[in-house]
Amino acid sequence: MNDGDLEAFLSLVERHRRYMYNLALRITGNEQDAKDVIQESLLNAYLHLEQFERRADLRTWLNRIVVNCALDHLRGLRRRPDRNDPRPLSDVVDTAASSSPDPERLVTSADWRRQVSAAMNTMSPLERVTFTLRHFEGCSINEIAQTVGIGNNAAKQHIFRAVRKIRLALEPHWSGQ
Amino acid sequence: MSHLSDDEFVLHYYGEDGSRIVATERHLRSCAQCARAYEALARTLSAVTPPEFVEAADDLPAIRQLLHDRLRGQQSPPAVRPLLEGEAGLMALVWLVPVLYPLSFQALFSSARFAQEHIVGMPLVALTLMWACGGPFVAVLALTRMAVDRFERASTRLLVCGALMAAISPPLFLVVSRVSLSLNLGLWLWYSAIALASLIALFRWPKTSHSTARFLYVHRLSALVLTVFVSAHIINQAFAFFSLSLYTMMRSIMRVASQQPAMYTLIVGSVAIQMATGAAMGMKRVRAGALARNLQAVSGWYLAAFLLTHVFSALLFSQPQAATTVAPSVNQFDLLAGPRSTAQLPYLLLGVAAFLFHVGIYARLAALVYLAEASVRRLSYAAMFVGTTVVLTVGLALCGIHLTR
Repeated sequence: MNDGDLEAFLSLVERHRRYMYNLALRITGNEQDAKDVIQESLLNAYLHLEQFERRADLRTWLNRIVVNCALDHLRGLRRRPDRNDPRPLSDVVDTAASSSPDPERLVTSADWRRQVSAAMNTMSPLERVTFTLRHFEGCSINEIAQTVGIGNNAAKQHIFRAVRKIRLALEPHWSGQ
Repeated sequence: MSHLSDDEFVLHYYGEDGSRIVATERHLRSCAQCARAYEALARTLSAVTPPEFVEAADDLPAIRQLLHDRLRGQQSPPAVRPLLEGEAGLMALVWLVPVLYPLSFQALFSSARFAQEHIVGMPLVALTLMWACGGPFVAVLALTRMAVDRFERASTRLLVCGALMAAISPPLFLVVSRVSLSLNLGLWLWYSAIALASLIALFRWPKTSHSTARFLYVHRLSALVLTVFVSAHIINQAFAFFSLSLYTMMRSIMRVASQQPAMYTLIVGSVAIQMATGAAMGMKRVRAGALARNLQAVSGWYLAAFLLTHVFSALLFSQPQAATTVAPSVNQFDLLAGPRSTAQLPYLLLGVAAFLFHVGIYARLAALVYLAEASVRRLSYAAMFVGTTVVLTVGLALCGIHLTR
């Protein structure tokens, strides 16, 4: 592959880059990690361009690469306790329970976003990815299972566990009302 | 209708409850308790909104530079990398394994003899054993690193055929050498088999567009029967390291059980179903870049060849009572004693390892349904430790090393 190939590839993926970046951002939860994931995804996509040859939908193919790179990235972070160490659920629950402002206002506040982010940090990489794809991206469980390469039942169970963690962390906000 | 569970609420919230959606909706209208619980879930989940869509930073020049750098880094040394990256290198690697396989156990036998006289020869034994057992691992590496996962190109088919030959060299060599011995053909038959396998790659393979779900179900069902039988067999082989007499006692009990007509039919039937369903799934499990799937596919290939050699040896050859049977004599524990018996060491060790990998990968996927990922990872590490210990103890016993006799 030469420079011309690389330029052609970059112009091809340019129109999908915004979507890819936002998907990576939703999964990883921060900009620097999202950037790392996008770089890794583009490199992987370029190196395995042959696999795309006759696939109909470029975005679907790129999304699958982003999701799997993000999953690898999250797993890598968990192996490095100095970075992005997920908070224990009990910490998040304690913080949530200690504050009980008006729920209408709460959900639009920066504090709420931090609470959601902290709740998502308690999830395992697979729980986080499956939850993001189902809740934020609206993918079906079947699509999620195929993208991540697990069975439908496993995908469901990861989503159930993720929702349980979200509820445990965030519901004390409502129960105080 | 009884009260709904939290998981059913989640499925309903995401519209994933399929045909139960109407019944669930009706229940929520009639049951105040469930309606309240569902409302609490919906309120929390609807408050978890995605971060706003943001513009990707205009870092295209940086990405371009980074890709340039990374690609240059990938194209430069270390020396072995181009060999593993390029399709030609992978192809050469997978075909070299069967070509050189007959030399590997001869080297293993020579190094074992050398080690008997000089203790410093032990690492050499370990190295040659790794060489003899390396085929399936090379196959997994090649399949995982291949560029495309369709078999329309002859070069891809050649790579996959090579991987198959590399994976099944130990059992296939035992069968071929048995035939070769009776026809007095030396290694010519082995190299003809390799050439024949490479010819298969030149023809287009039939497309396997059918669903494999039903095959997979039957495959798993018959695997259950075999798992019980093979696990007992492996555990007993591992016992041989600790106590030869315990092994002999267990073996005689198992032999009585497995030689019952009903039991024998069940085992042979399960093996046949395993291979038929495995073959029907064809190459569907093979996928570029998917290490676990390829590991399961390659271990499946190996197990099919192993079981065919091991279980059907009496049916395949007309003189099962002859001294040189294809399946090794199970009470023969000093496999390094002769060049012919040495060929059975990688064959048996890889059989144990392939079984553990094949079952282990499936168990890991199944465990992900019930356990959190971190717990599955910890269990996987523990299982790998136990598996390695089992393979080592079986290996030591097969080399004639026993704690008590």
